[in-house]
Amino acid sequence: MLAKHYRSFKHDLDQRGIIFSFSGYLSEEILYSLGNALRQKMTLEDANVTTVKKVFSVFVEQAQNIIRYSADKLSGDKGKAIELSSGMVTIGTENDRFFIVCANVVLAADEPRLRERLELLRSMDRDAIKAYYKEQLREAPEEQSKGATIGLIEIARRASEPIEFDFDPIDDQKFFFCMKVSI
Amino acid sequence: MENLTIAATERSPAVDFDFAAGRLSLKGESYPEDASAVFGPIFAALETFLGAAGDREVTFDFELIYFNSSSAKALMNMFQMLDQAAGAGCRLQVNWFYAADDDTMKEFGEDFSEDLDHVGFHLVAVE
Repeated sequence: MLAKHYRSFKHDLDQRGIIFSFSGYLSEEILYSLGNALRQKMTLEDANVTTVKKVFSVFVEQAQNIIRYSADKLSGDKGKAIELSSGMVTIGTENDRFFIVCANVVLAADEPRLRERLELLRSMDRDAIKAYYKEQLREAPEEQSKGATIGLIEIARRASEPIEFDFDPIDDQKFFFCMKVSI
Repeated sequence: MENLTIAATERSPAVDFDFAAGRLSLKGESYPEDASAVFGPIFAALETFLGAAGDREVTFDFELIYFNSSSAKALMNMFQMLDQAAGAGCRLQVNWFYAADDDTMKEFGEDFSEDLDHVGFHLVAVE
Protein backbone atom coordinates (compact mmCIF):
# COMPACT_ATOMS: atom_id res chain seq x y z
CA MET A 1 0.00 0.00 0.00
CA LEU A 2 2.82 2.37 0.88
CA ALA A 3 4.48 2.37 -2.55
CA LYS A 4 1.10 2.43 -4.28
CA HIS A 5 -0.08 5.37 -2.24
CA TYR A 6 3.02 7.49 -2.85
CA ARG A 7 3.27 6.41 -6.47
CA SER A 8 -0.18 7.76 -7.03
CA PHE A 9 0.74 10.98 -5.20
CA LYS A 10 3.85 11.32 -7.39
CA HIS A 11 1.85 10.46 -10.49
CA ASP A 12 -0.64 13.19 -9.69
CA LEU A 13 2.19 15.75 -9.35
CA ASP A 14 3.75 14.55 -12.63
CA GLN A 15 0.41 14.78 -14.42
CA ARG A 16 0.17 18.41 -13.36
CA GLY A 17 3.60 19.09 -14.88
CA ILE A 18 5.22 19.73 -11.52
CA ILE A 19 9.01 19.80 -11.48
CA PHE A 20 9.42 20.61 -7.79
CA SER A 21 6.98 20.91 -4.96
CA PHE A 22 8.03 21.80 -1.47
CA SER A 23 5.62 21.88 1.44
CA GLY A 24 6.61 22.50 5.00
CA TYR A 25 9.07 24.62 6.93
CA LEU A 26 11.10 26.69 4.54
CA SER A 27 14.48 28.18 5.44
CA GLU A 28 16.99 30.31 3.55
CA GLU A 29 19.20 27.21 3.18
CA ILE A 30 16.36 25.28 1.55
CA LEU A 31 15.64 28.26 -0.69
CA TYR A 32 19.29 28.23 -1.81
CA SER A 33 19.37 24.49 -2.47
CA LEU A 34 16.02 24.29 -4.25
CA GLY A 35 16.90 27.39 -6.27
CA ASN A 36 20.16 25.83 -7.43
CA ALA A 37 18.52 22.55 -8.36
CA LEU A 38 15.90 24.52 -10.29
CA ARG A 39 18.52 26.49 -12.24
CA GLN A 40 20.48 23.32 -13.02
CA LYS A 41 17.37 21.50 -14.19
CA MET A 42 16.36 24.38 -16.48
CA THR A 43 19.90 24.81 -17.82
CA LEU A 44 20.16 21.09 -18.60
CA GLU A 45 16.97 21.40 -20.60
CA ASP A 46 18.40 24.34 -22.56
CA ALA A 47 15.88 26.89 -21.35
CA ASN A 48 17.12 30.32 -22.44
CA VAL A 49 19.03 32.47 -19.96
CA THR A 50 16.29 35.08 -19.63
CA THR A 51 13.65 32.44 -18.86
CA VAL A 52 15.90 30.77 -16.26
CA LYS A 53 16.49 34.19 -14.66
CA LYS A 54 12.79 35.04 -14.59
CA VAL A 55 11.74 31.71 -13.06
CA PHE A 56 14.56 31.85 -10.51
CA SER A 57 13.75 35.43 -9.61
CA VAL A 58 10.04 34.73 -9.05
CA PHE A 59 10.95 31.62 -7.05
CA VAL A 60 13.30 33.61 -4.76
CA GLU A 61 10.80 36.44 -4.19
CA GLN A 62 7.98 33.99 -3.43
CA ALA A 63 10.11 31.83 -1.12
CA GLN A 64 11.42 34.89 0.73
CA ASN A 65 7.86 36.18 1.11
CA ILE A 66 6.90 32.90 2.77
CA ILE A 67 9.96 33.02 5.04
CA ARG A 68 9.21 36.60 6.05
CA TYR A 69 5.45 36.77 6.10
CA SER A 70 3.94 33.33 6.68
CA ALA A 71 1.65 33.50 9.70
CA ASP A 72 2.39 29.82 10.33
CA LYS A 73 5.74 30.06 12.08
CA LEU A 74 7.74 28.13 14.63
CA SER A 75 10.22 30.05 16.68
CA GLY A 76 12.41 29.39 19.64
CA ASP A 77 15.84 29.77 21.07
CA LYS A 78 18.11 26.74 21.10
CA GLY A 79 21.37 28.46 21.88
CA LYS A 80 20.60 30.73 18.94
CA ALA A 81 17.31 32.14 17.72
CA ILE A 82 15.58 29.87 15.23
CA GLU A 83 12.53 30.82 13.22
CA LEU A 84 10.90 28.55 10.68
CA SER A 85 8.05 29.56 8.38
CA SER A 86 5.65 27.13 6.84
CA GLY A 87 4.37 27.30 3.29
CA MET A 88 4.40 25.73 -0.16
CA VAL A 89 6.32 26.45 -3.34
CA THR A 90 5.53 24.53 -6.50
CA ILE A 91 7.16 24.91 -9.89
CA GLY A 92 6.06 23.23 -13.06
CA THR A 93 5.25 23.58 -16.72
CA GLU A 94 1.96 23.74 -18.57
CA ASN A 95 1.17 24.83 -22.13
CA ASP A 96 4.91 25.39 -22.79
CA ARG A 97 5.17 27.85 -19.96
CA PHE A 98 6.71 27.66 -16.53
CA PHE A 99 4.49 28.37 -13.56
CA ILE A 100 5.34 29.02 -9.94
CA VAL A 101 2.75 28.70 -7.21
CA CYS A 102 3.33 29.73 -3.63
CA ALA A 103 0.97 29.38 -0.71
CA ASN A 104 1.05 30.22 2.96
CA VAL A 105 -1.13 31.25 5.87
CA VAL A 106 -1.72 34.98 6.27
CA LEU A 107 -3.42 36.86 9.11
CA ALA A 108 -6.91 38.16 8.32
CA ALA A 109 -5.68 41.60 9.34
CA ASP A 110 -3.08 41.54 6.53
CA GLU A 111 -5.40 40.19 3.85
CA PRO A 112 -7.02 43.47 2.62
CA ARG A 113 -3.66 45.16 2.06
CA LEU A 114 -2.17 42.19 0.23
CA ARG A 115 -5.32 41.86 -1.91
CA GLU A 116 -5.24 45.57 -2.71
CA ARG A 117 -1.58 45.41 -3.78
CA LEU A 118 -2.16 42.40 -6.00
CA GLU A 119 -5.30 43.90 -7.57
CA LEU A 120 -3.36 47.05 -8.35
CA LEU A 121 -0.60 45.04 -10.05
CA ARG A 122 -3.20 43.02 -11.97
CA SER A 123 -4.72 46.22 -13.31
CA MET A 124 -1.41 47.45 -14.73
CA ASP A 125 0.11 46.75 -18.12
CA ARG A 126 3.79 45.98 -18.67
CA ASP A 127 4.90 49.63 -18.98
CA ALA A 128 2.90 50.71 -15.92
CA ILE A 129 4.45 47.88 -13.85
CA LYS A 130 7.93 48.93 -14.94
CA ALA A 131 7.26 52.58 -14.09
CA TYR A 132 5.78 51.59 -10.72
CA TYR A 133 8.82 49.39 -10.00
CA LYS A 134 11.21 52.24 -10.71
CA GLU A 135 9.17 54.62 -8.57
CA GLN A 136 9.10 52.20 -5.61
CA LEU A 137 12.82 51.45 -5.99
CA ARG A 138 13.55 55.07 -5.13
CA GLU A 139 11.18 55.14 -2.15
CA ALA A 140 12.45 54.56 1.38
CA PRO A 141 11.31 51.12 2.61
CA GLU A 142 7.94 50.99 4.34
CA GLU A 143 7.80 50.60 8.07
CA GLN A 144 7.54 46.88 8.98
CA SER A 145 8.20 45.81 5.41
CA LYS A 146 11.30 43.75 4.84
CA GLY A 147 11.18 44.30 1.12
CA ALA A 148 7.91 42.80 -0.11
CA THR A 149 6.61 46.10 -1.41
CA ILE A 150 9.07 45.85 -4.24
CA GLY A 151 9.11 42.02 -4.23
CA LEU A 152 5.55 41.71 -5.51
CA ILE A 153 6.26 44.27 -8.24
CA GLU A 154 9.37 42.30 -9.23
CA ILE A 155 7.19 39.18 -9.50
CA ALA A 156 4.59 41.00 -11.62
CA ARG A 157 7.35 42.36 -13.83
CA ARG A 158 8.73 38.90 -14.63
CA ALA A 159 5.30 37.34 -15.20
CA SER A 160 3.95 36.79 -18.72
CA GLU A 161 0.35 37.10 -17.58
CA PRO A 162 -1.36 38.95 -14.72
CA ILE A 163 -0.68 37.26 -11.36
CA GLU A 164 -3.46 34.90 -10.25
CA PHE A 165 -4.25 34.82 -6.55
CA ASP A 166 -6.84 33.67 -4.10
CA PHE A 167 -7.60 33.59 -0.36
CA ASP A 168 -9.31 30.65 1.32
CA PRO A 169 -10.63 31.47 4.83
CA ILE A 170 -9.35 29.10 7.54
CA ASP A 171 -11.04 30.75 10.53
CA ASP A 172 -11.78 34.29 11.79
CA GLN A 173 -8.15 35.13 12.05
CA LYS A 174 -6.48 33.36 9.16
CA PHE A 175 -6.56 32.84 5.42
CA PHE A 176 -4.75 30.38 3.20
CA PHE A 177 -3.18 32.60 0.55
CA CYS A 178 -2.19 31.26 -2.86
CA MET A 179 -0.52 32.98 -5.82
CA LYS A 180 0.31 31.66 -9.28
CA VAL A 181 2.73 33.25 -11.71
CA SER A 182 3.22 32.13 -15.32
CA ILE A 183 6.44 32.76 -17.21
CA MET B 1 41.51 54.68 4.20
CA GLU B 2 41.56 50.93 4.56
CA ASN B 3 40.41 48.84 1.63
CA LEU B 4 37.22 46.84 1.97
CA THR B 5 37.34 43.23 0.86
CA ILE B 6 34.48 40.86 1.59
CA ALA B 7 34.43 37.35 0.13
CA ALA B 8 31.31 36.24 -1.71
CA THR B 9 28.97 33.86 0.07
CA GLU B 10 26.38 31.58 -1.51
CA ARG B 11 23.90 34.46 -1.55
CA SER B 12 25.93 37.66 -1.27
CA PRO B 13 28.38 39.34 -3.65
CA ALA B 14 32.17 39.66 -3.46
CA VAL B 15 33.18 43.19 -2.49
CA ASP B 16 36.57 44.51 -3.54
CA PHE B 17 37.02 48.21 -2.80
CA ASP B 18 40.58 49.29 -3.50
CA PHE B 19 40.22 52.87 -2.31
CA ALA B 20 43.87 53.79 -2.83
CA ALA B 21 43.63 52.84 -6.52
CA GLY B 22 40.11 54.27 -6.89
CA ARG B 23 38.91 50.91 -8.17
CA LEU B 24 35.75 49.43 -6.67
CA SER B 25 33.99 46.22 -7.59
CA LEU B 26 30.92 44.23 -6.69
CA LYS B 27 30.65 40.77 -8.17
CA GLY B 28 28.37 37.75 -7.98
CA GLU B 29 24.86 37.13 -6.73
CA SER B 30 22.83 38.89 -4.08
CA TYR B 31 19.74 37.42 -2.46
CA PRO B 32 20.58 37.38 1.24
CA GLU B 33 18.14 36.86 4.06
CA ASP B 34 18.82 40.40 5.24
CA ALA B 35 19.99 42.83 2.56
CA SER B 36 20.60 45.64 5.06
CA ALA B 37 23.10 43.47 6.96
CA VAL B 38 25.01 42.80 3.72
CA PHE B 39 24.88 46.34 2.31
CA GLY B 40 25.24 48.25 5.62
CA PRO B 41 29.06 47.93 5.86
CA ILE B 42 29.39 48.59 2.10
CA PHE B 43 27.40 51.83 2.39
CA ALA B 44 29.37 52.95 5.44
CA ALA B 45 32.74 52.48 3.70
CA LEU B 46 31.51 54.11 0.49
CA GLU B 47 30.13 57.09 2.33
CA THR B 48 33.45 57.78 4.06
CA PHE B 49 35.41 57.30 0.85
CA LEU B 50 33.14 59.39 -1.38
CA GLY B 51 32.90 62.13 1.23
CA ALA B 52 36.66 62.70 0.89
CA ALA B 53 37.04 61.80 -2.79
CA GLY B 54 37.13 65.40 -4.05
CA ASP B 55 37.73 65.43 -7.82
CA ARG B 56 39.67 62.19 -8.09
CA GLU B 57 39.01 59.49 -10.63
CA VAL B 58 37.06 56.45 -9.46
CA THR B 59 35.92 53.38 -11.40
CA PHE B 60 33.20 51.11 -10.07
CA ASP B 61 32.73 47.71 -11.76
CA PHE B 62 29.44 45.88 -11.27
CA GLU B 63 29.51 42.23 -12.37
CA LEU B 64 26.28 40.92 -10.96
CA ILE B 65 24.65 37.74 -12.14
CA TYR B 66 21.45 37.94 -10.13
CA PHE B 67 20.02 40.04 -7.30
CA ASN B 68 16.66 40.02 -5.55
CA SER B 69 14.33 42.96 -5.01
CA SER B 70 15.75 44.01 -1.61
CA SER B 71 19.23 44.06 -3.14
CA ALA B 72 17.91 46.09 -6.09
CA LYS B 73 16.73 48.67 -3.60
CA ALA B 74 20.16 48.74 -1.95
CA LEU B 75 21.83 49.12 -5.37
CA MET B 76 19.54 52.03 -6.17
CA ASN B 77 20.63 53.72 -2.92
CA MET B 78 24.23 53.06 -3.88
CA PHE B 79 23.77 54.68 -7.30
CA GLN B 80 22.18 57.70 -5.64
CA MET B 81 25.28 58.03 -3.41
CA LEU B 82 27.57 57.70 -6.43
CA ASP B 83 25.67 60.27 -8.44
CA GLN B 84 25.74 62.73 -5.56
CA ALA B 85 29.52 62.35 -5.22
CA ALA B 86 29.92 62.76 -8.99
CA GLY B 87 27.77 65.90 -8.80
CA ALA B 88 30.17 67.22 -6.18
CA GLY B 89 33.15 66.76 -8.49
CA CYS B 90 34.30 63.13 -8.22
CA ARG B 91 35.07 61.78 -11.70
CA LEU B 92 33.13 58.55 -11.38
CA GLN B 93 32.80 55.90 -14.04
CA VAL B 94 30.56 52.86 -13.66
CA ASN B 95 30.98 49.71 -15.74
CA TRP B 96 27.89 47.51 -15.68
CA PHE B 97 28.90 44.10 -16.98
CA TYR B 98 26.24 41.64 -18.09
CA ALA B 99 26.21 38.38 -20.04
CA ALA B 100 25.33 39.18 -23.65
CA ASP B 101 22.33 36.82 -23.58
CA ASP B 102 20.99 38.10 -20.25
CA ASP B 103 18.21 40.60 -20.96
CA THR B 104 17.29 40.96 -17.29
CA MET B 105 20.69 42.25 -16.15
CA LYS B 106 20.93 44.47 -19.21
CA GLU B 107 17.56 46.02 -18.41
CA PHE B 108 18.55 46.59 -14.78
CA GLY B 109 21.66 48.41 -15.99
CA GLU B 110 19.54 50.60 -18.26
CA ASP B 111 17.09 51.28 -15.41
CA PHE B 112 19.80 52.38 -13.01
CA SER B 113 21.58 54.49 -15.61
CA GLU B 114 18.42 56.50 -16.33
CA ASP B 115 18.61 58.06 -12.88
CA LEU B 116 22.22 59.14 -13.14
CA ASP B 117 23.01 62.75 -14.04
CA HIS B 118 26.71 62.92 -13.25
CA VAL B 119 28.16 59.40 -13.27
CA GLY B 120 29.64 58.08 -16.52
CA PHE B 121 27.77 54.83 -17.06
CA HIS B 122 28.92 52.10 -19.44
CA LEU B 123 26.87 49.01 -20.25
CA VAL B 124 29.31 46.27 -21.16
CA ALA B 125 28.07 43.04 -22.76
CA VAL B 126 30.30 40.06 -21.99
CA GLU B 127 30.27 37.22 -24.51
